Amino acid sequence: MSEDVRFESGQFEGIVVRSPLVSPARLADVLHKRFAGTESYFGGEPAVLDFSEVSDWPEQVDWSGLVAFFRRLGLQPIGVRGVPESFDAALKRLHLAQLDATALRLEAVRRAEPAKTAPAAAPETPAPPPADTPRAAAPTKFIDRPVRSGQQIYAPEGDVVLMAGSNPGAEIIAAGSIHCWGPLRGRVLAGAGGNLQARIVATHFGPELVSIAGIYQTFENGLPPSIANRAVQVKLQIIQGQSHLLIEPIDTI
Amino acid sequence: MRIVVVTSGKGGVGKTTTSAAFASGLALRGFKTAVIDFDVGLRNLDLIMGCERRVVYDFVNVLQGDAKLTQALIKDKHVDTLHILPASQTKDKDALTEEGVEKVIKELETMGFDYVVCDSPAGIERGALMALLFADEAIVVTNPEVSSVRDSDRILGILQSKSRRAMEGREPVKEHLLVTRYSAKRVEEGEMLSYKDIQELLRIPLLGVIPESDAVLQASNQGVPAIHLKGTDVAEAYADVVSRFLGEDKPLRFVSYEKPSLIKRLFGST
Ligand SMILES: Nc1ncnc2c1ncn2[C@@H]1O[C@H](COP(=O)(O)OP(=O)(O)OP(=O)(O)O)[C@@H](O)[C@H]1O
Ligand SMILES: [Mg+2]
Repeated sequence: MSEDVRFESGQFEGIVVRSPLVSPARLADVLHKRFAGTESYFGGEPAVLDFSEVSDWPEQVDWSGLVAFFRRLGLQPIGVRGVPESFDAALKRLHLAQLDATALRLEAVRRAEPAKTAPAAAPETPAPPPADTPRAAAPTKFIDRPVRSGQQIYAPEGDVVLMAGSNPGAEIIAAGSIHCWGPLRGRVLAGAGGNLQARIVATHFGPELVSIAGIYQTFENGLPPSIANRAVQVKLQIIQGQSHLLIEPIDTI
Repeated sequence: MRIVVVTSGKGGVGKTTTSAAFASGLALRGFKTAVIDFDVGLRNLDLIMGCERRVVYDFVNVLQGDAKLTQALIKDKHVDTLHILPASQTKDKDALTEEGVEKVIKELETMGFDYVVCDSPAGIERGALMALLFADEAIVVTNPEVSSVRDSDRILGILQSKSRRAMEGREPVKEHLLVTRYSAKRVEEGEMLSYKDIQELLRIPLLGVIPESDAVLQASNQGVPAIHLKGTDVAEAYADVVSRFLGEDKPLRFVSYEKPSLIKRLFGST
């Protein structure tokens, strides 16, 4: 079995870890030499774990062990690639997005198709889902107090509505959309299960990271004045089958 | 009886200074008050209260059953209605158990105390968690700088999840923001966050602003809580804090900076 674990940057603007190994213990052995036991070698970058090179999948994988292992290295695993379907449930539980490039693109095209026939819809934004999707019934989580540094809000099914905003260092993750009244700070991840229709809507926009279905953007150098602390929405835009984040001020009233 | 934790997350922001002044202020108003040092291993409160030479038994002795609470409580030398329960300098932090702390607090209640002020250690470890566990109210001490505000935010999150009130689903701990070591001049010059910035970030009610002052160091060297330093801005600011805590309406003081006049700037202030 190959032990050639590679860390690449590129497509993702984060770190893609291509690993032929899925055992946290084996990874720790192999990488120990390379990082000489340095905790937090990386600086908290989001990471996609690509397991396409795994030749021999075991029946059980210690996914939370893997996530913990990469976190110790200073990475933030946000999704995986090349993982067999049998692990779907386990990955969902850990809110790791399935980011197989081809699957993502196919789904994007499929969802975008109705837009072509609906002249009212903007041509470059995904069409709204059919009115009777089961998602409409998913529970909404209302959070009445500010989400504070170190706190995490996680909605594995529906939307999150923040009634008192969030602070730097908070983390909000939803399978659906995230709505925020008041300042939106911290890390904000919508569409965590891969829902391309999810949006982030905020009255006072100022997060450290936003992500929709695993497509993310960070703002280390601050936000442009056109969106900083203003009413903003974030959604996915599909251009030639590729997903991009569209972050724009909301001009209402 | 009301239990008030003085906490911050970040170290060295003025928790112990505040605990001593605030507890003294409540006692000056006639409330029977106890102030407990939860900083096991460091032990600072007794120095600031000037009672270090009278420490025979401490909090840990009481928790471990080696002494009675009444033996360990030290009567304050300035105010009759104030008692201090000092921490030990050497003993094991693991002595702070939930059951032990709860027992001490129940006993203080039967002794007729009106207020218990808990001086929390820095950080979010055992000592800090024990100090906030039984709190009814929290004074979150914050300095006008980003790292202190971030740590205060974190401790507020912990109050919302790890206090008994939170865990039992009762009415949440009442939160108060206290900004200390505030220099209106440096705020004016853009070197520090203003108290308004801090309040906007933390979004909890402001209890007061304590100015940065050399008097605090002198006071702690003399073992006199800062509220007793007659005529200083720090003493007055702490007295205002106690008043506001008791529901009185007091305007904020010591938060604006008057630029010295041209003449003063030209000839110096002699
Ligand atoms: N208003 C003030 N002006 C000037 N100095 C102050 C003020 N408040 C506190 N200090 C000083 O700051 C230092 C730390 O104060 P203090 O011991 O009260 O903080 P603390 O939060 O209890 O610290 P620890 O986290 O170590 O317990 C002391 O030297 C004290 O004299
Ligand atoms: Mg202290």
